[in-house]
Amino acid sequence: MTSSTGLPARGLRFLLARRRVLLRLAVWSVLETGQTFLIGYGPARALDEGFLHGRADVGLVWLAVTGLGVLLGAYGTARVYAAVADLVEPLRDRLVERVVSRGVRSGDAGSLSGLTQQVEIARDTFAGLVMVSRSFVFTSVGALAGLFALAPPLLLVVGPPLAVGMALFATTLRPLARRQETFLVADEALAGDLGTVCPGLRDITATGAEAQIAAGTGERVEAELRAARALAHWGVLRVASLTIGGQLPIVLLLAAAPWLLSHGVTTGALVGALAYVTQSLLPALRNLIHGLGTSGSRLTVVLRRLARPDTADDTATPPPPATSPHPTSTATADRPQRAGGPAAADHTANDGRGAPAPSLSRSHTAAKPPPAVSLTSVTFAYGPASAPVVHDLDLVLPPGAHLAVVGPSGTGKSTLTALVAGLLTPSRGTVRVGGHPVPGPAAAAARVLIPQEAYVFGGTLAENLAYLRPDPVPEEELLAAAEAVGLAPLADRLGGLDARVEPPALSAGERQLVALTRAYLSYAPLALLDEATCHLDPETEERAERAFAARPGGTLVVVAHRISSARRAGRVLVMDGRSTAYGGHEELLRSCALYRDLVGSWSPALAR
Amino acid sequence: MTPRGDDDPAAGHARTLLRTATGYSGSRCVALCLVSIAATGGGLLLPVVLGRALDLLLAHAPATRWVLGCAGLVLLLGLLDAAQTVLTGTVDARTTAWLRRRLTGHVLGVGPRAADRFGSGDLVARLVGNAAEAGTTPGARAALPAALAGPVGGVVALALIDWWLAAVFLAGAPVLALLLRAVSRDTSETASRYQQAQGRIAAALAEAVEGVRTVRAAGTERRETARVLRPLPDLSRAGHRMWRVQGRAAARAVAVAPLLQLAVVAVAGVLLSRDRLSVGEVLAASRYAVLATGVGVLVGQLAGLARARAAARRLGEVETEPATVYGARRLPDGPGRLELRGVTARRGGRTVLDGVNLDVPGGTTLAVVGRSGSGKSLLAALAGRLADPDDGEVLLDGVPLRELPHDDLRGAVGYAFARPALLGGTVGQAIGLGLPSSSPGRIREAARTALADDFVRRLPDGYGTAVADAPRSGGESQRLGLARAFAHGGRLLILDDALSSLDTVTERHITDALFGDGPGSTRLLVAHRGATAACADAVAWLDDGRVRAVGRHEELWRLPEYRAVFADAAGPAASPARQGASQPVPGPRSGDEQGEGRNGVNGQTRTGAADRGGTSKDKDATA
Repeated sequence: MTSSTGLPARGLRFLLARRRVLLRLAVWSVLETGQTFLIGYGPARALDEGFLHGRADVGLVWLAVTGLGVLLGAYGTARVYAAVADLVEPLRDRLVERVVSRGVRSGDAGSLSGLTQQVEIARDTFAGLVMVSRSFVFTSVGALAGLFALAPPLLLVVGPPLAVGMALFATTLRPLARRQETFLVADEALAGDLGTVCPGLRDITATGAEAQIAAGTGERVEAELRAARALAHWGVLRVASLTIGGQLPIVLLLAAAPWLLSHGVTTGALVGALAYVTQSLLPALRNLIHGLGTSGSRLTVVLRRLARPDTADDTATPPPPATSPHPTSTATADRPQRAGGPAAADHTANDGRGAPAPSLSRSHTAAKPPPAVSLTSVTFAYGPASAPVVHDLDLVLPPGAHLAVVGPSGTGKSTLTALVAGLLTPSRGTVRVGGHPVPGPAAAAARVLIPQEAYVFGGTLAENLAYLRPDPVPEEELLAAAEAVGLAPLADRLGGLDARVEPPALSAGERQLVALTRAYLSYAPLALLDEATCHLDPETEERAERAFAARPGGTLVVVAHRISSARRAGRVLVMDGRSTAYGGHEELLRSCALYRDLVGSWSPALAR
Repeated sequence: MTPRGDDDPAAGHARTLLRTATGYSGSRCVALCLVSIAATGGGLLLPVVLGRALDLLLAHAPATRWVLGCAGLVLLLGLLDAAQTVLTGTVDARTTAWLRRRLTGHVLGVGPRAADRFGSGDLVARLVGNAAEAGTTPGARAALPAALAGPVGGVVALALIDWWLAAVFLAGAPVLALLLRAVSRDTSETASRYQQAQGRIAAALAEAVEGVRTVRAAGTERRETARVLRPLPDLSRAGHRMWRVQGRAAARAVAVAPLLQLAVVAVAGVLLSRDRLSVGEVLAASRYAVLATGVGVLVGQLAGLARARAAARRLGEVETEPATVYGARRLPDGPGRLELRGVTARRGGRTVLDGVNLDVPGGTTLAVVGRSGSGKSLLAALAGRLADPDDGEVLLDGVPLRELPHDDLRGAVGYAFARPALLGGTVGQAIGLGLPSSSPGRIREAARTALADDFVRRLPDGYGTAVADAPRSGGESQRLGLARAFAHGGRLLILDDALSSLDTVTERHITDALFGDGPGSTRLLVAHRGATAACADAVAWLDDGRVRAVGRHEELWRLPEYRAVFADAAGPAASPARQGASQPVPGPRSGDEQGEGRNGVNGQTRTGAADRGGTSKDKDATA
């Protein structure tokens, strides 16, 4: 039914895993079959044995039996809903799990609409599909059985047109689903377009682009109109299959009446057959055709969208990293003007070490501890054609170092922390943390990244703080960390470690304090603060940074938000998009114009 | 239809909308009405023909004509049904498209006022959902007579066969109605419980999405997923309950109509046994009973029409906000002198601007400062006619803005905002938005001036990257918005806090370019930072909707209350000291009169910085 590979197979597996539910569904549906059977059989008997023989009482009894059948069938319908719930709710659970897991991984805000809208559409349409297709199967079985019970020749008259109508419908299903999908896509495109136009009205008016935007939206409206029209025209085929499958048997029953009557078909049986066609088969077929025609393709579209492989990571997975040994000793012209000092010495010491030589590096480690961070000729770009954000960067930090990264916005400071943390993979070059290759589990365990947007979740303060620790953390340790980083006053105000934290109730700065304390508690020796203190006042910031710098053996990399951060740090890396400069504060003030400029605009008192 | 419609402008607009929309597909609507009536007529005719044919066949009388009549009717019904399907589909689609085009045009004509009044999310909902619902009105109305005729015809036909039949049906009908009524009651409670559980999951997911960098870096995706999914069992339970409630309702619905029909058949059978009816008539009666129970469908259709009317009313509400009217007086050549004369503007019953008089000579820069809520942004909106004042007049080169034609006005005034909405598909198109002809060179040049060229070229497809796919920070968005304003050009450039998210180095580079020979000869800039205000030829200090003072930044700086305006601003304040110290880097301009003035600023403030020494918090300014 669907053109996407894998979806039907997965659907089948889903259903097979729920055989018992299907069985229950079938059992309750049989009641509906019984009702259908009686809807023609009862009146037929009532006529033949009762009313036509002048015995109204017998006729009424048969009709009463039919009425009981109707009630029983209705009971079955109620139970069928419960069974359908056992199919639909697990599907919904699975889809919610999928959407949530993907949302958590990709950070895609679109997953929220997936959760509240697409999953619900899938739930409703799937339930609708199960209902109509099941109803059609069990109703037609009941009707055909009834026809057979009344007189087998009736089947010969009713069966063939029904089969032809269904076959016609089956052949139109696929093209119809395609039209339906085109329509849904056009509809979504229009909604998406309006979703950017309406919040942008001020900007549209300001640029005088009303006509241009109206034309663009008009095109989407037109596309949706075309799709809706095509869909309406294809509706003719649905009507045709319905007429052939549901209405034609009426005419055929009449036309064949003389022959049927001469072959032992009674008056009641003929009337009963007409009742089966008009009251059971025709409505069931109509529901099936309308149900499958619309919800079927809707479900397919939505499921395909929900089931598609993750796409949100495409920015995080640039072309595969080239691990080929790089001539690391070549100091290219645009290479950072490297100031002397311990870091540079470290760098030269490590220069001879080719990137992919683990054994060599281990022997090296035996001599002295590996650098906390080492970047070798690291280049990173967001696309194969786009200009690199980080270009051919070499950097070595010994354990215990304190580095500040400064530079105008958009020059790759955050990208650098993401590369060190292993969230991004360099296009060229290698990154190591504590001697372990990045990305890798050992390197991941050796660093903690605190981004600008602090993450606090609804839960207790203790849960939030112990988030990065595998085992429960003693309360004293939590309190000590809170004291060290400067969270203690907030913890008191909230009502202690066991108080529940509601993220919206905290200010941005308070959230950053929580995130910092959490990182402080982690075992990772390398802390990467990516503007993680930007919402704190300078005193609080200083306290937090000093707490990190004072961790025994702890290495600290701070994407600096204020120049005071750079002054506190032993080393400073200046990034300006094309080149980098590296050194101590005083030294850079002398040698780097951009740094002077940055310091100047940050704080005139220091510039002089 | 509603008598109170007259005093409800939205309903009036809705009626006009629907009338015009129906007229737009007038012939189709008439055809739909006729076709559906014919179909209903055919449907009512079929049982009686069927019954007659059956009677003749049972009596072994010649019945060929009746059987053929039946066949003809079935064929005709099929054709009519097909025509109805196509007509309904096209009328709905045409009406919806017409409504959407008209309202989109209207909303664009109204401009930012529409978003202010309704909220942009709500506007989208109206243009997408409500337009589609309202779009079904003409078709549903055209088909209404036929839908009404079906059940009524069924009852009448029953009465024509035998009045007892109609009597039984009508006696049973109230029971049917009562049973169906009870259905909708308990569903709403279970539904709200379901939505609550869903809301808890959504809230937790929203938190996790926001903290994605932390989660990814910590590798705790699995744990986060489990945490977000904690309310899932509740959701599942509520979901099961919903189905059970619905099942009970459905059971009632499927039982009632067949029972009623059986009652009719029973009476018909009794009449048959007394030879008052023929077998064919019993068959016909049974069919008519089914047609008569179609009243439930009619109720559904009426409810749909009511919903559609409510939707149309929401569209009418949008039309009550009048579109902006432009004038016809051409803008004369001029330097771009901006004047505000007694400008008063009220918002939500509060006077935001109160008799503001300002004169910005052509080619100069005026900075507007003030505490938040002092009316700065509204002033910026009035200055380029993104809104109209309630009183007073805004003039550009002597012409009131209201009297200018659209193209003259928008061509002369460029805007950049703190949070620009970037429209137009790709980054390049977003920068060139609204330009009659945008050359790549012009766009690139503008991006370069706004210091956006570097990071745009780092995007996966450079200028061809879709705006939605371009990962960017607030500062980068702002630079794209500035690039758009620079590409747009014009004699008046209005920057509404458009530099606020830039780091200080970038801001200074841009202001250097801007005050050198940047685009736009007259500039109005809303500023939060002292450094920005210090660049301007004059500063208008807004306080509580009035102009408190106009003067140079360094003059005003002597007033403690003026300084407090900047201390108030988000983050550590930018004092003139900062600007002073950043001046030594030579800018692109040399020896123009403005440069002279600014050097004066520097001399003064550098002393100020020294006085303040290292004791002030302000020395560490936000990046």
